[in-house]
Amino acid sequence: MRSARIFTIALACATLAVAQPALTAEQRRLNLESFEFIWSTIRDQYWDPTFGGVNWTAVRDEFRPRIERAATMPETRSLMGQMLGRLGKSHFAIIPADVYGDLDSHDDAGGTGTAGIDVRVLAGRAIVTSVEENSPASAQGVRPGWEVLSIDGTVLAPRIQKVAELYRNSTMREVYLARSALAKLAGDEGSVARVQFRDGSGRGVTKEIERVRPRGSLAKFGYLPPSYVWITSRRIEGDIGYIAFNLFLDPARLMPAFGGAVHSCTGCAGMIIDLRGNPGGLGIMAMGMAGWFIDKPDQRLGTMYTRQAPVKFIVNPRPPVYSGALAILVDGSSASTSEVFAGGMKDLGRARIFGTRTAGAALPSAIDRLPNGDALQHAMADYISEGGRTLEGMGVVPDVEVKLTREALLAGHDPVLDAAIEWIHARK
Amino acid sequence: MHLRHRLTPAVFLAGLLCSSGGVRAEEPLPKADEILDKFVEVTGGKAAYEKVHNEKSTGTFEFVGKGVKGSMTLYRAEPNKMYMRVDLENIGAIEDGTDGETAWMLSALQGPHIKEGEERALSLRQATLREPLLWRKMYKSAETAGIENVDGAACYKVVLTPNEGKPQTQYYDKKNNLLVKMTVTLVSQMGEIPSETVFSDYKEQNGILSAHKTRSKALGQEFEITIGQIDYNIDMPKDRFDLPNEIKALAKK
Repeated sequence: MRSARIFTIALACATLAVAQPALTAEQRRLNLESFEFIWSTIRDQYWDPTFGGVNWTAVRDEFRPRIERAATMPETRSLMGQMLGRLGKSHFAIIPADVYGDLDSHDDAGGTGTAGIDVRVLAGRAIVTSVEENSPASAQGVRPGWEVLSIDGTVLAPRIQKVAELYRNSTMREVYLARSALAKLAGDEGSVARVQFRDGSGRGVTKEIERVRPRGSLAKFGYLPPSYVWITSRRIEGDIGYIAFNLFLDPARLMPAFGGAVHSCTGCAGMIIDLRGNPGGLGIMAMGMAGWFIDKPDQRLGTMYTRQAPVKFIVNPRPPVYSGALAILVDGSSASTSEVFAGGMKDLGRARIFGTRTAGAALPSAIDRLPNGDALQHAMADYISEGGRTLEGMGVVPDVEVKLTREALLAGHDPVLDAAIEWIHARK
Repeated sequence: MHLRHRLTPAVFLAGLLCSSGGVRAEEPLPKADEILDKFVEVTGGKAAYEKVHNEKSTGTFEFVGKGVKGSMTLYRAEPNKMYMRVDLENIGAIEDGTDGETAWMLSALQGPHIKEGEERALSLRQATLREPLLWRKMYKSAETAGIENVDGAACYKVVLTPNEGKPQTQYYDKKNNLLVKMTVTLVSQMGEIPSETVFSDYKEQNGILSAHKTRSKALGQEFEITIGQIDYNIDMPKDRFDLPNEIKALAKK
């Protein structure tokens, strides 16, 4: 899933290039091969066989001679991007080989070990938004609101600036900004991250934090890389249920745990589902979870349009259904199935959404490496939420926009959660 | 008996229809009822089918190329009772069944669902134990539409129109009259999904020849069912086809 979420940008940097070397004969051959791959992939897999009225064969006839004449890689990429642009849809992009490498964080430490902190980029700075209990970071005294200045000698500010520029017009900006910091924090279990912070009083603090196994259980699904999945639930202020989980995966364990948490709180004044930072997973789980909150049959979260047929994301009521106030918390790192769930529940009028706009990355998409070393990102289906809006490139806009701030975090507050609690109390 | 009965939209969330090259029919085409009756004959004969009152099949289920696998158990009893359970690794159970009246689906992922209309009608057809003998009651028409190649074999193309629901197209090998392919629109609560299923690995068990492997395509996904064992006329638990509690609770609402 991680690899399936790189967004449209790359053309921007392609056009910034100057004094590019001329293409060799071999590069020209590979570029033509790549062009044919792109064109035929769209022909065979684009969900709308009419291509939205675009004559796709004519597009090939127009662009192939231009690709043949292109003198540089940036020019070639620009032409390929223009061809994809004829579809008029987001989530189609040519990703230059060097940019793909940066975003896929192959140059970073990698590994599954975690320092136990979560980070978002707030007002251009990498800020710790949460610290896991009993984690090495917690033991070292790291606190929410601290700014991360550098990790293992890499200063984050230029990295953040570069990614912010690349994604300046994308709803996925927040996702990649957070990743630019989090990728450096990850590493092999047992290794140590040397992290320089600015603490609450503005002083520089350096901590050596051991990376440990992430919380949760290692879940496998098909050939996807195994991922650690966790779910937590608790009561807040006595009569509000709170559920958070990091991925829509491991359904055999997650679905019963989620359902159990809902059923244990049937008399609660409200329920809060925290999807902040949740990048999604299996779309079908969104339908299943919605069933614990919707008692009317034949409701749907939205519709996915594939080449073969439209697929309705139907909700099956799962009695006893929780009928109290429901708040869903989201942020710019809530993507894919998180958006399907939050967007659909909002459209059905069943939940109130708090936080910031989601990533706008709801489509199932794939990234294929091209013969010339670049990559093609392409969506394989369209998804329209029940309210009639596309989520792709737009995201779910919260009913109540609440932003995290360093000041609030330092003061021990979570303004998004606080807003949801306040709304639930106001409804009593 | 025949795997065509074992396909269900409950686990069939995923179809590309492979085109098969047309072959001009220069010979007189046999009538559909001759083809369908001959199928009964070549797979064991009417008497063999009539001896069967219930069955249990076990096998494996796999989403091809996805690394998602599981086990499958299917029970059926006359006239049209069915219970199927697929246990997918790391996903959980998907159950599908009917007591002959109420058709339902229950999954750990999606919860309980009671089928209605065309979706219910499709389930009841799939549950009919002696469907090869009873097709005249279940379909309002059957027509031979031509001859087409399926994987290099010339096949009779038969279009069956059910009393309720959409037509399905079956392909019978001219040489041995075995069913080798079927295309049908799977009607489910998630939509109407075109699908194609290819039947192979015919084996005889208890005097009846049946396909032990099916490969189905829908919504760009492919899955394969491999049957390991079929037992007929077992000591069927009395409550095997009772509605699960979740379905009963839903029915009460």
